[in-house]
Amino acid sequence: MRDVWIAGAGMTRIGKRSERLQALMTEASLAALAVAGIEKPDAVVIATMNPEEFVGDGNFASNVATYMGFAEVPALRIETATSSGAAALYAGFAEVAAGLHRTVLVVGGEKMTHLSTPRVSEIIGRSIDAYERSYGATMPALAGLITRALMARHGVGLREISQVAVKNHAHAARNPYAHFREPVTIEAVMESRVVADPLRLLHCCPISDGAAAVVLTSERAAVRIAGIGQGTDTLAVRHRHELTSFRATQAAARAAFQMAGLGPERVDFAELHDAFAPFELIALEDIGLVPPGKSGGATLDGETAIDGRLPINPSGGLKARGHPLAATGIAQVVECVWQLLGRAEDRQVSGRVALAHSIGGLATNNWVTLLEAQ
Amino acid sequence: MIETIPASRCPRCEMIVAPPAPYCPHHPVAMIPTTLPGAGVIVSFTTLHSPPEGFKSPLHIALIELERGARFVCHGAQTETRGLKLGATVAIEALDNVYYFSHLGALDRARLFWHRAGHAGDRVNAIARSLAKRAWKGMTRGGS
Repeated sequence: MRDVWIAGAGMTRIGKRSERLQALMTEASLAALAVAGIEKPDAVVIATMNPEEFVGDGNFASNVATYMGFAEVPALRIETATSSGAAALYAGFAEVAAGLHRTVLVVGGEKMTHLSTPRVSEIIGRSIDAYERSYGATMPALAGLITRALMARHGVGLREISQVAVKNHAHAARNPYAHFREPVTIEAVMESRVVADPLRLLHCCPISDGAAAVVLTSERAAVRIAGIGQGTDTLAVRHRHELTSFRATQAAARAAFQMAGLGPERVDFAELHDAFAPFELIALEDIGLVPPGKSGGATLDGETAIDGRLPINPSGGLKARGHPLAATGIAQVVECVWQLLGRAEDRQVSGRVALAHSIGGLATNNWVTLLEAQ
Repeated sequence: MIETIPASRCPRCEMIVAPPAPYCPHHPVAMIPTTLPGAGVIVSFTTLHSPPEGFKSPLHIALIELERGARFVCHGAQTETRGLKLGATVAIEALDNVYYFSHLGALDRARLFWHRAGHAGDRVNAIARSLAKRAWKGMTRGGS
């Protein structure tokens, strides 16, 4: 297996965008290619979760590749629900590692804000088991079930969960690419509207538009993909016996750490999938970044803040940078690369090893990626 | 009244899922139809105040653990989640093919007890019958 390096990274500002999805994905791609100093890659891997429903276009690999002037470049589309971006990175990684291509552009994007919130929720909710959906289960509903079970455990209350949102909003206030630039108080989070009891509005990520891209290469560059792992679980939440940890995250982390030949103690900072604030606490423990039962306390103590021992979501996370579905897994990697290269400006953290964690569906298809600065 | 809930069992790992599925989620093996009594304990529940289209607000959704470890998703009756605790025993009722959980009445508890005793009773009967058969065989063999 060849070493795979990231030669360029780029993304759009995340938020409500008026441009077409193709234009957003082109903007991110051209930014990443410019940094890499490459005009045309050998192959393109595209991630979009629901372009047919959101923007009404199909055959999307060819659609986007042609739009940005790569009609003759081999292109394919990868989809694993909300972790599609991380899955596309894996496909691009595999192409370079196997020696099939020397340079691969990996780009993910989603455009949703032009549709009503119930319509967007219904489309995203199609990634849930059909029986559970027939009882009204949406992503926030299932996250609400998980949050209540988590809060029944010692050490996690509404305050610990709410602090995740406060922290990530504070980080995003320093990030010019973020959807939300306004800090929030813990009172505002705890008093926000109940969405899926005990989960409140400010515990949930927004609906965002945006795109992110990286250029992978077999030639030595500043950041190497040290490990990448996938973990899976049952589609139906009722078919699992554990609600307060995700098998898919644990398996993905094990695979990524094994490939990289290092352990969680070597991770200097991480971008975690906090689509719902309690998921950051679950991921911290599932990945082994904090001991079991300690994620709530570590968050309240500021250990995971940008100036803490282990900065988590310096970008603001899905919670505040925003969550343009298939862009997210790549946007996390872009943030890690910028941090590792010392280009994160006002939100710069220090470190050589970064971790990105992406959840697909209700933790049915998760990914963990380890990046190392050389 | 305790409902009987259709379910299926994996012959390889004994996992039970409800409603029934053609294949086990963990093995490429056809599942065997079975049933479970409609009573169990609350694993978790939530209430949606702006539920998806086609559902009335507030919408209660619960995850219930039935017998033999099978977990089941159902609704809660409109007012019944106040004071509800995780681990509480509830009954499951079907209304127009939609399942709801409700507090377990004294009569339901008695029925559930006899249902479980029924299983145990069958087992005791089977063991007694096989012992009697063996004793009879032993006697006939000894006699020849």
